[in-house]
Amino acid sequence: MATLRLSGSLPALPSSWSAEKDFLPLSTLTPPTSRALSPVGPHFLAHARRKRHHRTFSEDEK
Amino acid sequence: MSDDEVPGSPTPPPTKTTIGLSFGNTNSSIAYTGADGKPEVIANEEGDRQIPSILSYVSGEEYTGTQAKAQIVRNPTNTVAFFRDFLGKGFGNVDPTACHGSAHPKKLGEDGVGFVVKEGEGEEETEISVEEVAVRHLKRLRQSAADYLGREVGSAVLTVPSDFTEEQKSAVSKAASKAGLEIIQTIHEPVAALLAHDAKLLQSGEGDESKHDKIVLVADLGGIRSDIAVIASRGGIYTTLATAHDYELGGSTLDKVLIEYAAKEFFKKNKSAGDPRENARSVAKLTLEAEAVRKALSIGQNASFSIESLIDGRDFTLAVPRTRYELLANKVFASFTRFIEAAVQKAELDILDVDTILLTGGTSHTPKIAANLQAHFPSTTTIIAPSTSATATNPSELAVRGAAIQASLISEFEKEDIESSTEAVVTVTPHTHHPIGIVLGNDNFAVIVPADTPVPARRTAQIPVPAGGDVLIRLAEGVREIKVTKPEKPATNGTKDADDSDEDSDEEDEEVRERVFKSKKVLAEAGIKGVKKGGKVEVQVNVQADLSVSLVCREVGGKGGVRGTIEKAQGMNGSAK
Ligand SMILES: Nc1ncnc2c1ncn2[C@@H]1O[C@H](COP(=O)(O)OP(=O)(O)OP(=O)(O)O)[C@@H](O)[C@H]1O
Ligand SMILES: [Mg+2]
Repeated sequence: MATLRLSGSLPALPSSWSAEKDFLPLSTLTPPTSRALSPVGPHFLAHARRKRHHRTFSEDEK
Repeated sequence: MSDDEVPGSPTPPPTKTTIGLSFGNTNSSIAYTGADGKPEVIANEEGDRQIPSILSYVSGEEYTGTQAKAQIVRNPTNTVAFFRDFLGKGFGNVDPTACHGSAHPKKLGEDGVGFVVKEGEGEEETEISVEEVAVRHLKRLRQSAADYLGREVGSAVLTVPSDFTEEQKSAVSKAASKAGLEIIQTIHEPVAALLAHDAKLLQSGEGDESKHDKIVLVADLGGIRSDIAVIASRGGIYTTLATAHDYELGGSTLDKVLIEYAAKEFFKKNKSAGDPRENARSVAKLTLEAEAVRKALSIGQNASFSIESLIDGRDFTLAVPRTRYELLANKVFASFTRFIEAAVQKAELDILDVDTILLTGGTSHTPKIAANLQAHFPSTTTIIAPSTSATATNPSELAVRGAAIQASLISEFEKEDIESSTEAVVTVTPHTHHPIGIVLGNDNFAVIVPADTPVPARRTAQIPVPAGGDVLIRLAEGVREIKVTKPEKPATNGTKDADDSDEDSDEEDEEVRERVFKSKKVLAEAGIKGVKKGGKVEVQVNVQADLSVSLVCREVGGKGGVRGTIEKAQGMNGSAK
């Protein structure tokens, strides 16, 4: 995937903010929707291959 | 399935060539993707790339394609047309309307569908099942492909409508197999069209635009039916969100408008003549000519009917300017727009969510249909049609090109591998429910992973930090809202305005609809410290198959960075097994 270029400005870090290793998890993702992919095209085939071989994106790129 | 494989023969059988095949009620086409990776649509012996799905029997001879189509005028009862949608259905469930001007479907046996024609030289009538009709038609297509390519063609990827049932799919695959074409995969027509469009985007080389996340509405406007699919395209993977079907809307609906017009004009000049709409042969001639006029008006501003001996030996000519046609067919054109918009609602989306409308199917050549969509949809929606986009692929060829591309992708695979990759364990996948992105200043929310993205998914975004310093990355789930503003109306509202001035501007006070994203639930925060002046921060979001999220944020070109993981929700169903 190409890198997205976002415009807008990031808020400044409040001086009071602190977190272990500068990362603070706050909540979890909303449960997903289950849908069927069309088994068509090169990117689906790559997805199916990763799924079959239990590979991540970066492992797949090697 | 083929019987010509000799078991244990010393030389391995030559690799069978796999083609892409589109088999419509109106037309069929064949395509092949060669070594250069570009699909090519194959012309048959007559030079046609759109081969009418018609068979005709004349004095013991079988005619196909364009020659068979011409027989609808002379020999309608022995001409079989518009039969694809009958496959795999019982007689009680078929709609014979489209066959009005050619051989009518008959009930065969218990609940079978077939046609009764004079196949031989004599007067003897034979029953041919619709399956057999399909076999004969597909045999001709296979032969045309083999003749063109100069080698045996043994298999195909076939496009089918997105509402085809398992029975319909298996009936058409069985017919193909009897015709010597093993169907290695059936794929949905709209998805095939999108694949062909994306392949072209990729080849035109403007980055990999085909992988951009986008909502694509594919509108397949055919001969006797039209079908819509609203597709979430995510990193080049397609998920159909909704489909809609209209079995009474297509090119033939537009033919009827022109036929009515032509008949009325004919009457004006020939008051004493019979009604050409009541004579089968005259209707057949008018239908053929109406289609020719429509096609000519897709390119030119003027076209004309020219029919020898329309009725009672009278010739008929009539000039039809495009403006006239567009006026006459106004209502039908409007129903295309309405049908397409209804599909957006069915997908629970707003027209502002649609990034692209890809027009496919022969009737998509019609400029007014594309123009109406352009006027109705927001300017952010790109309409891909011959009249709106110079680089648009011929809409009559999109689906078959997609089939040929898919054929080239999978033809080397083992049958079992193709089958297993189309099974629900692989295709049914959790998709993000809400968009995921980061919270920016002024309450803005920038989407990084859109809603309806299959997981696992990985996206990377960059954002400039002109002033440098310490910044806060707030990863959140967002919601999409449609913001409606009525330009500069004072707060009082609701009653009929008795305002003093500006009656005109009230008319122009069209409400402005905008799509805005808002942050709804913050998932995690990350602090990035000491960003250089004029620096950039990169955020990588990895939504794992188990719905945990890993986040990597760092200054572009800087060292280290912040990493963290958001655990998956506890006790959640629907996660991938
Ligand atoms: N250049 C053109 N301008 C306008 N209409 C066209 C043009 N070319 C083809 N058509 C129309 O497209 C229709 C056929 O479309 P298509 O080949 O996509 O149908 P099909 O998929 O075989 O049939 P169906 O969708 O009904 O099963 C016909 O009505 C034909 O007149
Ligand atoms: Mg069609």
